[in-house]
Order: sequence, then C-alpha cells, then structure tokens
Amino acid sequence: MPRLAPSLLRQARAIDVLLPPLLPACRDLRSAENELRWLKDHAIKTGRQCGLAHSDASLKRLVARRARGEPIQYILGTEYFGDLELKCQPGVLIPRQETAASVTHLAQQLSKKRKGRPSDLHILDLCSGSGCIPLLFHHEFYAQPGNEHCKLHMVGADISVQALELARRNQKSQIAAQSKRVTAQTTSLAAMRFLHADVLLSEAANAIHAPIGVVEALQQLTNTRPTPAYEVLISNPPYISSQAFRTTTARSVRNFEPKLALVPDNPSSAPSALDGDVFYPRLLALADQLRTEIILFEVADIDQAQRVATLLARQSTWRTVEIWRDEPGATSDEADHVLLDGGESVPVRGAGNGRSVFAYRGAAAAWLQ
Amino acid sequence: MLRRFLIHQRAIAKPGLRHVRPFTTCGTLQEKPLPPRLKLVETELEESFLKGSGPGGQKINKTSSAVQLKHVPTGIVVKSQETRSRQQNRKLARLILAEKLDHMEKGNESRTSIKTERARVKKASASKKTRRKYKKLAEEDGKDDASQESADEVESELNDARSSPTAFETQNEPSKP
Ligand SMILES: C[S@@+](CC[C@H](N)C(=O)[O-])C[C@H]1O[C@@H](n2cnc3c(N)ncnc32)[C@H](O)[C@@H]1O
Repeated sequence: MPRLAPSLLRQARAIDVLLPPLLPACRDLRSAENELRWLKDHAIKTGRQCGLAHSDASLKRLVARRARGEPIQYILGTEYFGDLELKCQPGVLIPRQETAASVTHLAQQLSKKRKGRPSDLHILDLCSGSGCIPLLFHHEFYAQPGNEHCKLHMVGADISVQALELARRNQKSQIAAQSKRVTAQTTSLAAMRFLHADVLLSEAANAIHAPIGVVEALQQLTNTRPTPAYEVLISNPPYISSQAFRTTTARSVRNFEPKLALVPDNPSSAPSALDGDVFYPRLLALADQLRTEIILFEVADIDQAQRVATLLARQSTWRTVEIWRDEPGATSDEADHVLLDGGESVPVRGAGNGRSVFAYRGAAAAWLQ
Repeated sequence: MLRRFLIHQRAIAKPGLRHVRPFTTCGTLQEKPLPPRLKLVETELEESFLKGSGPGGQKINKTSSAVQLKHVPTGIVVKSQETRSRQQNRKLARLILAEKLDHMEKGNESRTSIKTERARVKKASASKKTRRKYKKLAEEDGKDDASQESADEVESELNDARSSPTAFETQNEPSKP
C-alpha cells in the first residue's frame, strides 16, 4: 500500500484529531470523515443505551479498532444489503453489495412472466451465512407487482452454527419490521428455516453426527421422502483459491473475516489456483437430486464463471446459461458473450466484474424466457 | 429553456405555525406555501455507484455506499455518500440535484432559497421571544410531523447533512453537444 502523504495527514488532523488514524484503513479523507461520523453516531447511541454521559472514551476505542483494519460493519454491528439493514458479527461473513445486486436481479427475472409459474416456489440457499440472500430475495420478490399471492418456501443451510444463529436473528428482526397482517409475504418470511448442514458431504458418507448432508437435513425438516423439489438453488459458497487468498484478497478480509467462509476447506488435489472451485460440482449434484430448475451461483471473476459455465454445458440439461456481472441490470461496453473451451457461446450481462452464473432448464424455461 | 426538462410537483405546504396562529390570508411570510418541489425525470438521469476498481466479491469488503447522479440535459453531476445505505443516498442525490436545477432556473425564488431565508427570519424573530414560549411553539409544531410527506423527511435529513461539509459534492460537467 502506498504511504499516505504528510500533507493529507496534516489536513485531516486540522479537521479532527481522530481522522488521521482512520486514513490508512479508509484511504481517502472523504471516506474517513464519513466513517468518523458513523462511529460518532454509534458511540452516542450505545452510550445512551448504557446510560453513559460521556461517549468520548468509547469513540476512541471504536476509532482504534477501525485503525487496526477491522471492518466497520463488525464495529457498528450492521450492514446494508440492498434495502435491508442486517446484523453483522465477527465470525460470520459480511454480506457484499455485489451479492445483493445479483439477488435483486434474480427476483426481478423470476417476476417477469407469471403465466405458467408455480404458485408455490421452493428456494434453497446453500452456504447462507448471515441469511442475507433469502431475506433480500423475499423482500425484492414481494416488492414486484403481481407476486402477492405467490408463496415462497425458503430454506438456508450453513455449516457454521454461529452463522445460523445470526441468520435466525436477522430473520426475527425482519419479521418484526413487517406488517402484522397475514399475507403470503408474512407467512413466507415466518416459515423461512435455517438448517445445519455440510454441503460437501455426499450422502454416501452419511454422517451420524451433525452437520449432516443437505438432502438429509431437508428430509428431516419436511419429514417426507423423497425430498420436495427445490426449483431454485442459490449459493454464494466459499470460492477463493488458496493462491488468490494469499495474493489478491484484501488484508482486512484475511485478518478479520472467517476463512471458512472464503476458502473452500479440504481442497482436493487441485492446483492452488483452482482449489476455489471445490463447491460447484457438489452444488450441481445437489441441483440434480433436488430437481432444481433455476440456479444462481456467485463466483470470484470471469475466469471462474467460465469454468462453472463449462461444468453446466457438459451436463447438457441446462436450456440457458448466462454469466452476470456485478450490476447485472446495467448496460456496458464490455463483451456481451464469452466462448467456452467446448466452443459454446455464453451471454454475459451487465457491467463490472464477472460475478455469478445463472442457468435454467425444464419447466422453468417456459416462464423465464 | 431549462423548464422544458422539469415537471413541477403539486405544491405541498408545510403547516408551519398553524397550531399557534390560525391561517389568515394576510398572514406572515411563513404561512405562504413554499413553491413546489421540482420533480426529476428518471430517464434523464445517469446513476452510477462509485466504487474502486479491483476484484470485488468476497475478496474485498468495500464500504462505499456512494451514489453519483448525472442530469444528462444539463451535465450537472452530484454525489451523495452521506449515509451507509445506498438506497438512502440515492434519494438524497435526487433531492440535491432537484435543488440545484431549481436554483439554476429560479435563483433566489427557488424553493431552497426561500426556505433558507424563512429559516433565517424565523430564527431572528424567535430569539426575541422567551425561551419557554419558543420551546412550546416547537413542540406544537412537531405534532404535524407524523403527517408529513416522506420527501420532507429526506429534505430535513439533507439539511442535517449540510452541516457536514464533505458529504456532498457537485461538479459541473458540461454535456458535449
Ligand atoms: C461466502 S460465505 C456466504 C455467506 C452469505 N450467503 C453471503 O452471501 O454473505 C460462505 C458460507 O459458507 C459456509 N460454509 C463453508 N463451508 C461449508 C460447508 N461445507 N457446508 C455448508 N456451508 C459451508 C460458511 O460458514 C459461510 O457462511
């Protein structure tokens, strides 16, 4: 990281003595001033709750934490994810804005045509972390006109007990924020479930102890066999390769966010540049078992997107495969398709970095096209 | 010329001091409705979310909720990064832009200029009154707030934000012919 200019530090100090320590973490004066204001508000708010008259000391402590590189979301305890303000806590990944953009776009795509769409949709989010994906999908889906009578059956699953606990707390506060009137929207939110399961565990290895496999966990939930179909499968799995973790991952992420959420555990014999791909074949196997027709998987970049799209092309059951960029709804001058190794052309939508892979098949093709 | 791009919203009069002194036609300056809030045409706006280049996704934890808004016909660009919520910043950016355009068009007769002037006059006359009376007045005035339109909330937030000099930035980038 380049050193900060002494003139910038002087300028910062002239505004507020607490600004210079924030500069290395924030990089520019404007962000540092914004963050200082948010930290001040937080110190005042928490001071008031604890009945403290002076919040100076606690503000200094907050600034010191941020100066050490701790993400501001962990310090303030929340992050905005689309329209939703969700709780954050160390040990659970902070939701990213790019994820919110993909999920919002998906909810819009699923609302374009309602003719032929089932009146009940089963949606599974694997590696659910803070619960941000099902919660935002729910919010965005019911924000679309014409969806008020459609029921969403949503399940999240994660290996981390801490993540599950946070997801349930986030669900509770979203429920509290809703109207008391009983609608498809409120019942779908109340019925959302977060399960303890290991995505990488194949049923062959049927574990006796928790965490169990995803299919087993779903069977326990509904108490039916075979497992009900999940038409939609979403996942933002750990996707950073061990090489990229060392080289291109921000220090604050490496030092403060859980590695379990970022780098796939138990990498096979894959080379260290490709061991970030571990989850995708497993997610596709689950998509088959759960009779999934629509998938949205987040990826690290356009290269990983192409590798995942190649896996999908080989399956040959997917009617349409698309790559979405950071802002899938935006227009850009960037390439509008890529060629896979097998020669297939895959459309690339939106602006920014390659961010997710979207595909559908079967009956969903009729109402998505 | 500018008027062509702008549609005016229905006037929303702030009830002001209604509880204290009933409205009369020969009332003071405060009792006249403000000029209407200017409404932007969404198709004339170019919005972008400012974030650094780089990998994104899980690899970096960006805090930027900044929003940049460009009014294509005039080339005016405003930025808002006041709040941690991008949604809220989007609303604020629209409000700032509307005020800019209104001011460009009408100068001292714009909504903001009139509001600022009234606030100054109100403050000057209020300081003459006793502290207690002023407090009572403010409380009664506050009763109306619940019924205010949401744009008013954003507007007052915007006024709070103005006290922090760096939250907003405007630049004039003339559109190319
Ligand atoms: C990148 S985070 C995504 C969290 C959340 N969905 C989001 O978008 O912010 C990945 C999540 O996968 C979970 N995870 C890691 N390995 C897992 C496994 N084998 N089975 C299930 N979940 C796993 C982690 O605990 C973490 O919460």
